[in-house]
Amino acid sequence: MSNHLITLTTRDGQVLTFDAQDSQDVVSAAAICNITLPSLCRDGGCGACLAHCESGEYTLGNYNESMLPSELKAQRQVLLCRTFPHSNLQLNAPYDYAHIQFGEQVGKTATITQLEKIANRTLKLQLKLGDDDKAVEFEAGQYVEIEIPQTNIRRAYSLANTANWQGELDFLIRVQPQGQFTTFLNEKAALGQTFTVYVPKGTFEFHSQRFNPAIFIAGGTGLAPFLSMLTKMAQWGENREVHLFFGVNDETELFCLEELAKLQQQLSNLKITQCVWKPRDTWQGFSGTPAQALQKYLQENPNDYDIYLCGPPMLVNSCVEIAKTHGISDTQIFSEKFG
Amino acid sequence: MFCYQCEQTPHAATGNGCHEAKGVCGKDETTADLQDLMLYGVQGVAQYAKRLRQFDLPQPKADEFILYTLFTTLTNVNFNANRFAELIKETAKLRVELKDLYNKTANERNVQIETFTGAAQWQPASTMAGLLIQAKEAAVNVELSEVGEDIVGLRAMLLYGIKGTAAYAYHALMLGYSDEEIYAEFEEALDFMATHSKDANALLNWAMRIGQLNYKVMALLDSANTGSFGTQQITQVNLSPVKGKAILVSGHDLHDLATLLEQTKDLGINVYTHGELLPAHAYPKLKAYPHLVGNYGGAWQNQHLDFAQFPGAILMTSNCLVEPAAAYRHRIFTAGPVGWAGIRHIQNNDFSPVIEAAQALHGFDEDKPAQFITVGFGKDTVMSVADKVIDGIKAGDIKHFFLIGGCDGAAPGRNYFTEVAELAPQDSIILTLGCGKFRFNTHDFGDIGGIPRLLDMGQCNDSYSAIQVALALSKAFDCNVNELPLSMMISWFEQKAVAVLLTLLSLGVRGIHLGPTLPAFLTPNLLAKLGETFDLKPTGIAANDVEAALRARA
Repeated sequence: MSNHLITLTTRDGQVLTFDAQDSQDVVSAAAICNITLPSLCRDGGCGACLAHCESGEYTLGNYNESMLPSELKAQRQVLLCRTFPHSNLQLNAPYDYAHIQFGEQVGKTATITQLEKIANRTLKLQLKLGDDDKAVEFEAGQYVEIEIPQTNIRRAYSLANTANWQGELDFLIRVQPQGQFTTFLNEKAALGQTFTVYVPKGTFEFHSQRFNPAIFIAGGTGLAPFLSMLTKMAQWGENREVHLFFGVNDETELFCLEELAKLQQQLSNLKITQCVWKPRDTWQGFSGTPAQALQKYLQENPNDYDIYLCGPPMLVNSCVEIAKTHGISDTQIFSEKFG
Repeated sequence: MFCYQCEQTPHAATGNGCHEAKGVCGKDETTADLQDLMLYGVQGVAQYAKRLRQFDLPQPKADEFILYTLFTTLTNVNFNANRFAELIKETAKLRVELKDLYNKTANERNVQIETFTGAAQWQPASTMAGLLIQAKEAAVNVELSEVGEDIVGLRAMLLYGIKGTAAYAYHALMLGYSDEEIYAEFEEALDFMATHSKDANALLNWAMRIGQLNYKVMALLDSANTGSFGTQQITQVNLSPVKGKAILVSGHDLHDLATLLEQTKDLGINVYTHGELLPAHAYPKLKAYPHLVGNYGGAWQNQHLDFAQFPGAILMTSNCLVEPAAAYRHRIFTAGPVGWAGIRHIQNNDFSPVIEAAQALHGFDEDKPAQFITVGFGKDTVMSVADKVIDGIKAGDIKHFFLIGGCDGAAPGRNYFTEVAELAPQDSIILTLGCGKFRFNTHDFGDIGGIPRLLDMGQCNDSYSAIQVALALSKAFDCNVNELPLSMMISWFEQKAVAVLLTLLSLGVRGIHLGPTLPAFLTPNLLAKLGETFDLKPTGIAANDVEAALRARA
């Protein structure tokens, strides 16, 4: 079995090297060296570990093609969790060195303090860390992996609150009928249930040093990272120009409307469009998907925007296409997919 | 982007200064350009504030704004481009208010309204792209091809001196100490800057005026510090961690430190100073807080290591901030003029987010063996043993004084200052101040007849104390300062050091060694002029400089 040198250059020009074997995907090889590269599902399903291979030979394992369409594959874009090296690799990562975590990932125990159905197919879950370690440090937009008790299965969810020193972790959970975590929550979990959670990760965050007005597109519980970003702006007094498009299938799936209204009171430059795909006749708001709302908005309000997307792959992909047709470049589009 | 205000900026045959996408300090092009544009607008604010003062209508809000905005542009203070975009809008809004008041008052008093061009008439563009285009006209070197590098260098020296002086005046103001004569001089200086003078002599004269202004400002800050917290006392400071929750306070602002100490009283949180706040331990009203337990870490350039290892919250009250590392970026907070995008800024002196963080973090698990250094040799302390010092000189026990002070930095050439301290003979006294001392302040230099050979006079602004001591000695020996057996080896890094240098020059001090490299804005012609007038010289080889100093003043 051969050892290959993996050289990863981050967006901010820093270089990281580690060894990998033929049988190891790049994310796993890094993990063995106590290097945690940004990734989410580790199964080729989410696109969070997308990178570019500058040189070297590799094979890609199975993956969801909507996360790595053929044209990107032809450009030697790769999903690192499904990239098996056959030679030394030179990789370029679309994230900064600060997003890489070093050292063994030790879990922390957190207890359920709130578990509540807040809309059709959506739960609000709040966990709290123990009194000896109440530091919840993360960038708004990042996610946490939660381990299902008595299994080694972890599920990643974006945090909906902001970094805090009270040990509080808020999540919005989309109820998936066959989903292992939501099944556990529905059938076994109750207040006081403990989980092991791992340090926040992810590269989806608000780029506060940029200046363009921002468009946030949230599909369902994809609202969570945006709630975090907007709450942080309100807490910090950063009244940035943001238009949030929040999309659901029908009115019964809307949630967190009071929180959003409160944020609008605090952030005078925040505009919100609720998008309901299949509304009742009485619906007064936008009827359609957030992608359709985006299309309309960009036609009527052409400008140079930074676009942030979080939701199912189909929504994210169509919004990316729409944004590009309106002249918005890849470097101004930031996304996280789930589902 | 063009910036050459700090010591670390590239010196190159093809041209000095930072003009890439990011400066050596970490300031990006957008931030640098917006800073230039904001200061251009601030000149307009000063132009109207000056005219209103002539109507006996001083503008305290404008004066505070002028000091604050100048301070934000010092090296390693504020890197947040969005903050500067906001400040540019505030600058224009304030300028319009002052202009309206000026026009109204002039009409009421039947005074001819002056018409201005340039900064006083500038309107900020409505888009970021527009602001960045405007910023090109506000760059330090905007008229280089027309006026040449000497004039640009002189304008830069003047601007950087104003910036450093403003930082000291802002610290004093935060403690409630202000002086209308000082504010009038700031307005005059910025009004002069707005004229884009091409007259080298006028610019040089103004640089000396800024030196004099800074002398007054340092005196004001000395009054503010001692008036608020008592005169410095000789104090032992523990350099080792103490068990318990912890907050580390860095920068220079004693007001922020005092406020935090009051807000953390009886909460079981230990407060540590860092860098330029070390001298805080010498002030009676600050050291009276039992939870001000010690100093942690070294000079500013080691903060990535020191802060990452500190198990508590960190507060940065002024320069010198460098990009917060991932290991501590969630537990570092900025205050006052300081800022970094994505780092929490404390507003209205409410340090509760810092306190919450400290309470949630582990703190130190155990006491480490105590290790002490001595601080507190401000002017009052030294003056109190002046007789002893004078007797020591007369008896031949003290033959020479070395003032080794100023800023520290990462450049290898800064070892020079440690070497000078180590090579200073046993019959010499070393006066030190600023953060340059962290290179040698844990060494044991011994004493001369009970007077420690190393006297830490405080922060960089305590160069005022050093000047007072020098003046007292010159009076005692009926000579001028340049005839004293006193050598000055000044390490500079940023604009406060420029202000201090201008003060020393304006007082007629000659023969200063400045290093580790000379300012990039000093062209060969300007260096020749300063060399000829003030015998200003670069630091050389430590052994040679010490030997020459001893020989010259023997």
